[in-house]
Amino acid sequence: MFGSFLKTSQVKSPWLMHFDCGSCNGCDIETLACLTPVYDVERFGVINVGNPRHADVLVVTGTVNQRNAVILKNIYDQMPTPKLVIAIGACGCSGGVFREAPNVLGGIDKVIPVDVYVPGCPAKPEAIMDAVVVGLGKLKGILEASK
Amino acid sequence: MNLNTFSLALAGLVLAPLLGGVVAGVDRVVTARLQSRLGPPLLQPFYDVGKLWSKVIAPASHWQGLFVRWALAASLASDVLLAAGGDVLMCFFVQAASASFVALGAFCGSSPYSKLGAQRELFQLLAYEPVFMVAILCLAKAAGGFDALSIMAAQGPLLFKLPLLVPGLVFVVLVKLRKSPFDIAASHHMHQEVVRGVYTDYAGRDFALLEIAHWADVTVVLWICSFLWATGPVQMLVTGLVFLFAAVVIDNISARLTWRTMLGRVAPITLILATANLVWLYLE
Ligand code: SF4
Repeated sequence: MFGSFLKTSQVKSPWLMHFDCGSCNGCDIETLACLTPVYDVERFGVINVGNPRHADVLVVTGTVNQRNAVILKNIYDQMPTPKLVIAIGACGCSGGVFREAPNVLGGIDKVIPVDVYVPGCPAKPEAIMDAVVVGLGKLKGILEASK
Repeated sequence: MNLNTFSLALAGLVLAPLLGGVVAGVDRVVTARLQSRLGPPLLQPFYDVGKLWSKVIAPASHWQGLFVRWALAASLASDVLLAAGGDVLMCFFVQAASASFVALGAFCGSSPYSKLGAQRELFQLLAYEPVFMVAILCLAKAAGGFDALSIMAAQGPLLFKLPLLVPGLVFVVLVKLRKSPFDIAASHHMHQEVVRGVYTDYAGRDFALLEIAHWADVTVVLWICSFLWATGPVQMLVTGLVFLFAAVVIDNISARLTWRTMLGRVAPITLILATANLVWLYLE
């Protein structure tokens, strides 16, 4: 019983950390909109944390470039396992309009493994919330497989 | 110790932290409603702790695990003392030890935010402990004994003898529940200028235990506040809820103050009020 409670809690309490990895701010505003009373992601137990050691889901907006790749990797490494990564927006998925820029490496998956991709420029808050739900479904699958 | 005291102590050990968890849930739901949101389920704090428990992460320092366990033991001990009708002053000292262990553990971490949070935690201790101690002295003087049982058996509500204690106790509740304007060491919300303050370096299982210790602390503090109207269990519950609700409302309408304001203004004023009440009790 305790084990199943722990598994349920992992799915019911995703604390997310948002990292702006060189986004134009469009996707950031949409991500933060999820926390407002209109969307109220706390309904699903989501809390926006500022500390990678407390985070379960890393939400990354924007492209990765030569400079912030190290920081992104560092944040990812500090998170406890199991962890999810969600790439937000065209930039996060593939580099978007910035992909040909000389310093840009591309999407988030060039540096860390990504679980869910959210397309859009910018991505809609509904799509971001849906991505968290999809990610949690994936986590649930992993937890159940490890039984 | 007879069997009755033993069973009460056991109930305190098990139920008090659970009650603290429910209080945290109520707090989050009420806060959400005040902000016209739906808010998380009532049992969300339990899910959070369960989640933290199942996370795998290396501790920031090997000492931290030890301090967390000491803090938890001290917080649970203060619950047990109160539940068994023990000395309230002793319960207060044990609880203060718990807060110091949390700060010590945070000092062991490597993050500067954690260290800054730990320093602020010590400032908080310095600010609320004297007020809380004088409040307990007042309660004991008005009720005629330091043990929880005699305070709870006092004739009539103690509030009318101790009106000047209310601001002090609200201050203590705000600090202990980590609420604005006194969420200086660590906010119970997740964002702050010092990230998560004293909690920054705690993670995974240690953080889960710390959260349980916090629940136990909250129960003790609200329980002591409820002594102001201890004519029956229902009245005590209502008094505790009134203090909780006051804290939630103040949290939602105020911004964070600096530690200088807390230590230099609010703490002295509430301390003077509480001391005046104590002197009044002696002169009566
Ligand atoms: S996807 Fe569009 S809105 Fe989002 S960061 Fe890139 S350019 Fe900005």
